[in-house]
Amino acid sequence: MEPLQNFLPQVWFVILALFLFLYVMLDGFDLGVGILSLTASTEERRGILMTSLSNVWDANETWLVLMGGALFGAFPLAYSTILQALYIPIMIMLFGLIFRAVAFEFREHSNRKLIWNLAFGIGSLLAAVGQGFALGGVLKGIAVDQSGHFVGSNLDWFNWQSILVTLTLIQGYVLIGSTYLINKTEGKLQEIHYSTAKLAAFTTLIGAVLITITTPIFYISARERLFSAPLVYLFALIPLLGILLIALLIRSLDQRQEKRSFLWTILLFLLTFLGLGLIVFPYIIPTQITIYQAAAAPSSLVFMIVFIGFLIPIMLAYNIYQYIVFRGKVAGEYYGGE
Amino acid sequence: MDFLSNAVVLSRMQFALTAIFHMIWPVLTTGMAIYLIVIEGMWLKTRNKDYYLHARFWSKLYVLNFGIGVASGIPMEFQFGTNWAPFSEATGDFFGSILGFEASMAFMLEAGFLGIMLFGWERVPPIMHYIATIMVAFGANLSIFWILSANSWLQTPAGGAFIEGKFVVSDYFQAIFNPFMVNSILHMFFATLETSLFMIGGISAWYILNKRHSQFFALSFKIVLAIAIAVTPLQLYIGHLSGEQVYHYQPTKLAAMEAQWETIPAGESPSWSMVAIPNDKAEQNDWEVSIPGLLSYILEIKPKLSEPVQGLKDYAPEDRPHLIGLIYYAFRLMIAIGVFLAALMAFTTLQWLRGKLSTENITQQRWLLRIWLLSAPLGYIAIESGWIVRCVGRQPWTVYGEVRTVDAASNLPPGDILTSLTGFAITYTILAIAVIYFGSRIIRKGPNLNLPIPGEQLQSELDTTPAEFLPDSRPVEAQQ
Repeated sequence: MEPLQNFLPQVWFVILALFLFLYVMLDGFDLGVGILSLTASTEERRGILMTSLSNVWDANETWLVLMGGALFGAFPLAYSTILQALYIPIMIMLFGLIFRAVAFEFREHSNRKLIWNLAFGIGSLLAAVGQGFALGGVLKGIAVDQSGHFVGSNLDWFNWQSILVTLTLIQGYVLIGSTYLINKTEGKLQEIHYSTAKLAAFTTLIGAVLITITTPIFYISARERLFSAPLVYLFALIPLLGILLIALLIRSLDQRQEKRSFLWTILLFLLTFLGLGLIVFPYIIPTQITIYQAAAAPSSLVFMIVFIGFLIPIMLAYNIYQYIVFRGKVAGEYYGGE
Repeated sequence: MDFLSNAVVLSRMQFALTAIFHMIWPVLTTGMAIYLIVIEGMWLKTRNKDYYLHARFWSKLYVLNFGIGVASGIPMEFQFGTNWAPFSEATGDFFGSILGFEASMAFMLEAGFLGIMLFGWERVPPIMHYIATIMVAFGANLSIFWILSANSWLQTPAGGAFIEGKFVVSDYFQAIFNPFMVNSILHMFFATLETSLFMIGGISAWYILNKRHSQFFALSFKIVLAIAIAVTPLQLYIGHLSGEQVYHYQPTKLAAMEAQWETIPAGESPSWSMVAIPNDKAEQNDWEVSIPGLLSYILEIKPKLSEPVQGLKDYAPEDRPHLIGLIYYAFRLMIAIGVFLAALMAFTTLQWLRGKLSTENITQQRWLLRIWLLSAPLGYIAIESGWIVRCVGRQPWTVYGEVRTVDAASNLPPGDILTSLTGFAITYTILAIAVIYFGSRIIRKGPNLNLPIPGEQLQSELDTTPAEFLPDSRPVEAQQ
């Protein structure tokens, strides 16, 4: 029984990490495109930017809903404690998501596009800011009592490390948004995104380096674990791989390789994600509550694996199908006037 | 103004506001999706291009509605954690997994095919597009299944027990198929369908009244009428069954719905209160008009009560719902709308049988069309009223008989909640105004009858209709 009781929460930790990764990657470029739209100088460019997302933004956002539901079911204690502790960043994210979601349709029908352009851009930025502070807050640790209930204050998530995490996350979103747009646009517009991608690659690198240097401070309780074999080798490998990927990314941008630049960015996201996952594991409410303490009953976890687990490949399949249907460049001529 | 410093009250207000606002949007995404299946199917079968143009026109309103549904739905899910942390921790094993199922089975399916349904007409073969439409409708309606299962479990918890304040599931099947579940799902399914039908019918009536594309919109008017013939009476019957279940399972809610202060023993044939002024403090109705002998017919279609109807005074004030007047009138409003819409359907069907809805005659049915137009929003009012009865009537419990609302709320700084509540109130007001504005704009602009038909590009090139469609120009109609 003991191995099973450990195994099930571990499986759910991995499933949740997968959902969160898919969300961060997919809505990451979504939000990144939104943030980039704030810098767009012409209505046409904004139109193309929004059109590149019109058929996928909704499915991308659904990974967040799925992650929320699965976290609620698999780790109820983590869901309730973390969300309560992060009330303000979560609300910032929600309001951001509301404004950017409605902007798609409202902009289409409106004569005063400026309002909805701003709603889209600022909404995307707000959502990223909320997510950055939420991530920073979790990494910094959430104050809980013995039974895992939140006992901190409503501004615990706000400190210099979480500001750093937020800024880096925004850069990362801009980076993946730019490389997505490289694949969706042509000509002069594509050139703009090659340069934004390159700029964002450097700023993300700076942020990532700063976070990597300061992370053991974020996470005192994990210090011993991180610096002892065999994990230490893995941790030494992650920054090296990261630098390699950044180098490959910048080379692919210089050589104007559309698909590769996007691929390297995704791998970079994946690597960062693995690093963060290794830091956090086995905690789900850092720095005190482990996945084993916060997990739902084994029967619930099994039941959810049966229902949600077998749907994962199906969900992936029709999402990929949708991307295949809408592959290729966004045609500019449709979005000239209106 | 003490409530401004009470986290429980503020969280309740925020949940009520966001839930009432959110509920508006899934109505069309679920109900209209079924109508879209019908017309797209008709198009594939008959290849009559009017059906195709209908599908394109209504999906414009569909997508406008959809975005706000998504945007306002995400806060619903996250609020369970932010504002109702003790509740989430206590019930997560079951309630959380159901939300997870909803997201993975229903929500994702809908989102994964929506892009193809809206923008994929030219990119996929017609049959694939039809599959996408069906998947969107199926996903949306599957949401009703899971959400109403979860909500029904709050009303009639089953399939496990609360042990040390945490719900431990012993039988998932029982928990999902809890006593209220089947009826609640059917009631909601038909509610969204019926509301969508009368919305589509009302908008169609507006066009016919204004003599714009009368023939085109007579088609949608008759399709929704034909579906309504089956739906409206069925909904009344399912509503009745739901009421009977409340009578058996939730005595405090029934007492509030009927503003019944004193207990009525079984075997009696009590009167049904039609209008009253309930007085919570004095524990009585200050004034009342009632119909003798009707209550037992309403509850179980029998002349005498088989079980007693518990009075509110049987329960201590902290064990029964408050806001009795709201629950009492919300219930009556819902019934009145249900009966009215069924009557409207019956009368319109009669006119149809008498040939008054034929192409030549339909524009003369001005009063009937006006009533349809005015009835368009009624379904929404009925749905919101029904939810108010269901959830305000469930108080003081979040999980009926098990978890009290006061114990379910997060211990948050009231200022934080007040800020987000104000934010939601402002945001949602802006969204409501915007959607009415843009929605009526889409309607005023009318359908684009010159869209190329997928797979028939050559023919449309030969078409001599002007490229630009001018909304109010009669000649376009003449060209049809």
